[in-house]
Amino acid sequence: MDTTTLVIAVAGVFAILSAIGVLLTRENLYAALYMSITMLLIAAMYAAYNVQQVVVLIAFVFVGAVGMITIAIAATYRYVPSRRINLIWIAPVIVVFAVTSYLYYNFATLSMKAENLDVAFQRLPSEYLVLLIFLFSVMILMMLSAVKLARRVEL
Amino acid sequence: MISQLFIVLATSSAILLIAYLTAISARDLIRLLISLELMFGAVFLAILPLFSIAATTAFAIAILTIFTSSSELLVFITAIVLLDRRKKGIDLEKVAVGGETL
Repeated sequence: MDTTTLVIAVAGVFAILSAIGVLLTRENLYAALYMSITMLLIAAMYAAYNVQQVVVLIAFVFVGAVGMITIAIAATYRYVPSRRINLIWIAPVIVVFAVTSYLYYNFATLSMKAENLDVAFQRLPSEYLVLLIFLFSVMILMMLSAVKLARRVEL
Repeated sequence: MISQLFIVLATSSAILLIAYLTAISARDLIRLLISLELMFGAVFLAILPLFSIAATTAFAIAILTIFTSSSELLVFITAIVLLDRRKKGIDLEKVAVGGETL
């Protein structure tokens, strides 16, 4: 087992453990913290393949912005009984995970190596310019819709 | 011999299934928001193998995922504020069927 495989295996195990922490913890604040840890470990798996651009995106946008806002909201609305795990659903989840893992183990045998990342990142704005403009437009429209919705509600 | 592709995809599916369980067991909007962000994390991991095939496309999908996640956060914060104003709480049990009264 080479170093990259070892790193992504360890990061993957800890990411799954912190995701289980999200499921099992009772308080939303700790669930948000576990979620941020999971996202950081996912960024670590990207870093193992030297995809630094996505590492920065995940760390800044997901952990820095989305994660921190979630933690702030969870700290604001802080009350304890916020989960009710339905045990009936655990069995099908385990079955689905076993089947997918078996299939991945048998068929996903290729080695991974991210290549031409610099060229790809430079080509992205020119090739997907229309997509990016549409995305910015959608975000602005959603912000305006959110403001309109929030103003309509009576206090 | 365990391949790297297997580790990445199995971790992605495990996180996705745990996020589904969290969404099912959520009793308020914040836990639901956290479970959705976990699902986006699983999607991010599922994109990783694409970087070894078509890196530019993978970057585009990653940016699309980030925009979608940010929009989801925006909608959820609005939903939390609206639910708190109308129902004086963020319990999912306070919402009527479909949330049509909002």
